[in-house]
Amino acid sequence: MISGRIISAALSLAVATLSAAAFAAPAKEPIVTYEWVQKNLDNPKVRIIEVSVDPGVYERGHVPGALNFRWHTDLVDKVSRDIVSRENFQKLIQGAGIDKDTTVVLYGDNNNWFAAWGAWVFHVHGLGEQVRLLDGGRKIWELKQLPLDTKAVEVKATTYALPEGKPNLRARLTDVLAAAEKKTDVHVIDIRSADEFQGKIFAPEGSKELSVRAGHVPGAVNVTWSKAVNAEDGTFKPAADLKKLYADAGVDGSKPIITYCRIGERSSHTWYLLTQILGYDVKNYDGSWTEYGNSVGAPVTNLAGTVWLGK
Amino acid sequence: MSRPIGIAVSFFILIGLAAGALSADSSKISKSLVLGALFGIVLQRSRFCFLCHTRDFFSNRDVRGIAAILLSLGIGTLGYHVLLTAWLPDPFSGRLPPDAHIGPAGPLLAFAAFAFGVGMAISGSCISGHLYRLGEGSPTAPFALLGTLLGFGVGFLTWNILYVASIATTPVVWLPQHLGYTGWLVAQLGLLALLAALFAYFARSSTPREAGPDGNPLAQALRRIFVCRWPAAAGGAAVGVIAAVAYFQVQPLGVTAAIGSVARSLLANAALLPETLHGLDGFAGCRTALVSGLSPNGAFVIGLVLASFAAALTAGQFTPAWPTASQAVRGLGGGLLLGWGAMTAIGCTVGTLLSGTIAGAASGWIFLVASFAGVWLTLRLLPAR
Repeated sequence: MISGRIISAALSLAVATLSAAAFAAPAKEPIVTYEWVQKNLDNPKVRIIEVSVDPGVYERGHVPGALNFRWHTDLVDKVSRDIVSRENFQKLIQGAGIDKDTTVVLYGDNNNWFAAWGAWVFHVHGLGEQVRLLDGGRKIWELKQLPLDTKAVEVKATTYALPEGKPNLRARLTDVLAAAEKKTDVHVIDIRSADEFQGKIFAPEGSKELSVRAGHVPGAVNVTWSKAVNAEDGTFKPAADLKKLYADAGVDGSKPIITYCRIGERSSHTWYLLTQILGYDVKNYDGSWTEYGNSVGAPVTNLAGTVWLGK
Repeated sequence: MSRPIGIAVSFFILIGLAAGALSADSSKISKSLVLGALFGIVLQRSRFCFLCHTRDFFSNRDVRGIAAILLSLGIGTLGYHVLLTAWLPDPFSGRLPPDAHIGPAGPLLAFAAFAFGVGMAISGSCISGHLYRLGEGSPTAPFALLGTLLGFGVGFLTWNILYVASIATTPVVWLPQHLGYTGWLVAQLGLLALLAALFAYFARSSTPREAGPDGNPLAQALRRIFVCRWPAAAGGAAVGVIAAVAYFQVQPLGVTAAIGSVARSLLANAALLPETLHGLDGFAGCRTALVSGLSPNGAFVIGLVLASFAAALTAGQFTPAWPTASQAVRGLGGGLLLGWGAMTAIGCTVGTLLSGTIAGAASGWIFLVASFAGVWLTLRLLPAR
């Protein structure tokens, strides 16, 4: 009787080990390759989630088994300008079937901008240990002509309670003002285009979110986000290249860093690689230029001297 | 133009369209070009036009056209139902399906659709009808499309006033959100069947059959496909299928986004466009934008017109004529109403009526009823041509 139990326990253990071995080991790396994702499409411990900018992209074809988080409604507060509340985020991840041993892989369109932003929200709400980014996002998945699925995915909800959050990954206006006024010793990285940084333009063409001042936070350095990726497939450049890229701009990780852009999403892309690939101490300023450049009394460096004429 | 030359020219047009589709940089552009071409061929071959089908009923009590429209809505509904249930399994989640043409459903929409109906009856066709007739060499179509462009311009100028006065607070009603998918499907198909039965009841008891072509079986079959008018129902069924495929592959069917975008750009260049069009770009529908290169909808319209031209050439139905003054006036005047109505309703008989109704939008049904009323009233008042 007892030996029977032992044998059955041993058998089930063996089966479990075998089935686990059928999938690649859960990635510890903060970014995963498309090959890794392909191998783990059916892994019950891996939850793939698309966070794209354009509505309808996910529905017309997504990574098989992937769920859809909509950044305009799921990952932000719909009334006040803020990221999604802990309470709503907990509901969201429970509904997505995420548990404490689930590895979450995010990917999206536009070079993973909003997927990276989503990853930052996961980190702020305490799920940083569990979240990964598919290197290259939709861009590489489509480039490699990998299969896309159109079915909605049904998952079993969990009761997972969020671990403690990390609000210190978020920079506030006061943090950036303190940096601008040299009251704190931090590096500020502006990841927008050179034209925005220099104040030649207020925002890229077509942007709806605007500031009434052009330029940048005094003391900030400009490393446009796109310099960190390979243009052809959207993947991050090798760590050594990234290290050099920021070192050349005077940011070597010896001091805390604040990243910002216009609305905080592209700067999440830079935030992700700086913290997760290079291991630097970084806060993302999600208020970004649309908050800073509209704030009364905030010091601004405007190299181009553009004056806001209300047009 | 003699038939052999016509066939040769249409062959080269189709080769050109295929080459365009194969060489397009974006898959959305090439898919739109192909879908537009298919749509153009179907419209031309089956004479599928919302106005003509309605007029056939009023003037001859011929129900086949109306039945074809209802069939296109039924088949489109079935296709959309498959996509919607797969893409948004829970219709009660508070979300709307991605970029489906579900617009504000209120009195202003009814008024705009009514104006559109009047414009159809005056100009002799809806916008998609004028587009395919452009390929047949219609003397009215160019004026109607010019009028449409102007009408869009007027629409942009009146948009902000109307938006604040009415549209901003008008609810966007999506029927599956209230009835569930099955309830909506059953109710909608039931209503369409009821309408078909109602029209059939008032139709002439027997509709004349078109005589079949002579010749050997192969020649007969070829004539049926390339020369004779396709049965209206075949056209309706094909429109329903194309509508669902277009939603799946690129975006819901519509023909006014590209025309509206041209109007918007012209106004902007003339510094006449309001600097902000409140809320307009937030609605799903036939979206306009300042023109910057070829849009998928632009490719769709180009495919439609060229393929209709090729189909008309092959059938020997390309019959260009000099416009009379009356055709020019009717085209421009009717087109003006078509343009204003389509701009204010965020789409026309294709974009709002077809793509809206089959997506479960109340706005689609409102457009259907109001534009029908506009057509009916105008046909009663307008002297017959």
